[in-house]
Amino acid sequence: MFEFFNSPEVINIIVIIGSMLLFFVGLFGLLTQKHIIKIFMSIAIMETAVYLFFIGSLFKLDAIAPIMKVADDTSKFNDPIPHAMILTAIVIAMAVFALGVSFAIEYYKLSGKTNIDTMNEMRH
Amino acid sequence: MSIKRSLSTLTLSGFTLSALLILSFINILLQNVATNIERAGDGLLKLNSSEGVANVVTTVVVYFRGFDTLGEIAVLFIASLGVGLMLERNTECTIKVQSNFMLQSASKLLFPIIIIFGLYVMIYGHLSPGGGFQGGVLVASAVLLLLISNKDLEVPHAVISALETLAGVSYVLIGLMGLLLSDVFLFNFLSPNIADFGLLLSGGIIPIVYIIVGIKVGSEMGFIVQNLLKRSDDV
Repeated sequence: MFEFFNSPEVINIIVIIGSMLLFFVGLFGLLTQKHIIKIFMSIAIMETAVYLFFIGSLFKLDAIAPIMKVADDTSKFNDPIPHAMILTAIVIAMAVFALGVSFAIEYYKLSGKTNIDTMNEMRH
Repeated sequence: MSIKRSLSTLTLSGFTLSALLILSFINILLQNVATNIERAGDGLLKLNSSEGVANVVTTVVVYFRGFDTLGEIAVLFIASLGVGLMLERNTECTIKVQSNFMLQSASKLLFPIIIIFGLYVMIYGHLSPGGGFQGGVLVASAVLLLLISNKDLEVPHAVISALETLAGVSYVLIGLMGLLLSDVFLFNFLSPNIADFGLLLSGGIIPIVYIIVGIKVGSEMGFIVQNLLKRSDDV
């Protein structure tokens, strides 16, 4: 009965629905949490869902990783473009996360607050 | 009819409706997912066998999208600059917790192994999985191990900034040399030979550029790690 899961349509649908579920887990955390570090972690979970979607939606079962041994065989490899795009996206996401965490640390040092509901210095 | 009962029937009908919607969505997806599409990477795979290196992802990142990678490490530099501006002002507070004996002796054993593995991943990035970004992060993790085991240690700021400046300047200089010798920025002026495919010395400027990217990423990540570690203990 498990041969059903080896067909490429089913694998694509599992990837699409699973990454959507993970994305909505991150979105739920982003909308409901009040601690600022938890908000950054929710954004990181949403980014992970996007990476899974990009890598998995162009994944083929019989293809191998795009590392060539000889210069002229091209047919059996996976698509190298999503790997390169996601490599870029991971580095940018890490930079954004480090910068946001450093902002949060400096803000906590100045005001002693981590809850985003109480961050109202600019209101008055 | 009470409010509670009407609410429960509403919830039940809502669940049924959403389950039907999800099932029909899955059905539509099952019938319409394209399986044998012409992939965008097929042309790149064919092009790679004439002017690339063994790892096709490295060819895409460093050669076909080399200018984007230059912008990407510029973004990483700006992020580390922002972390430094935020956290490096008051330098009197450092780590107060003394690390235990196990961490101190294990870090002496593990630090050279992690450094060697990071350099291996960096240098063989055009032949095997890995590359400059991954090797740079590995080197930065070795620096992190050294920093949490020895609280008095501080990586000198001059070394980090010298490494990073050297790497950035040499990346731009290699690109400008391509612009000078041909009319393309980051032109592969070392002209890769197809007989060398899969060897360590192959691919022209691609492994050189990826090692430069590794040095830059390693120094920037080490800078970010050091700043976050030195400041995070007193808040």
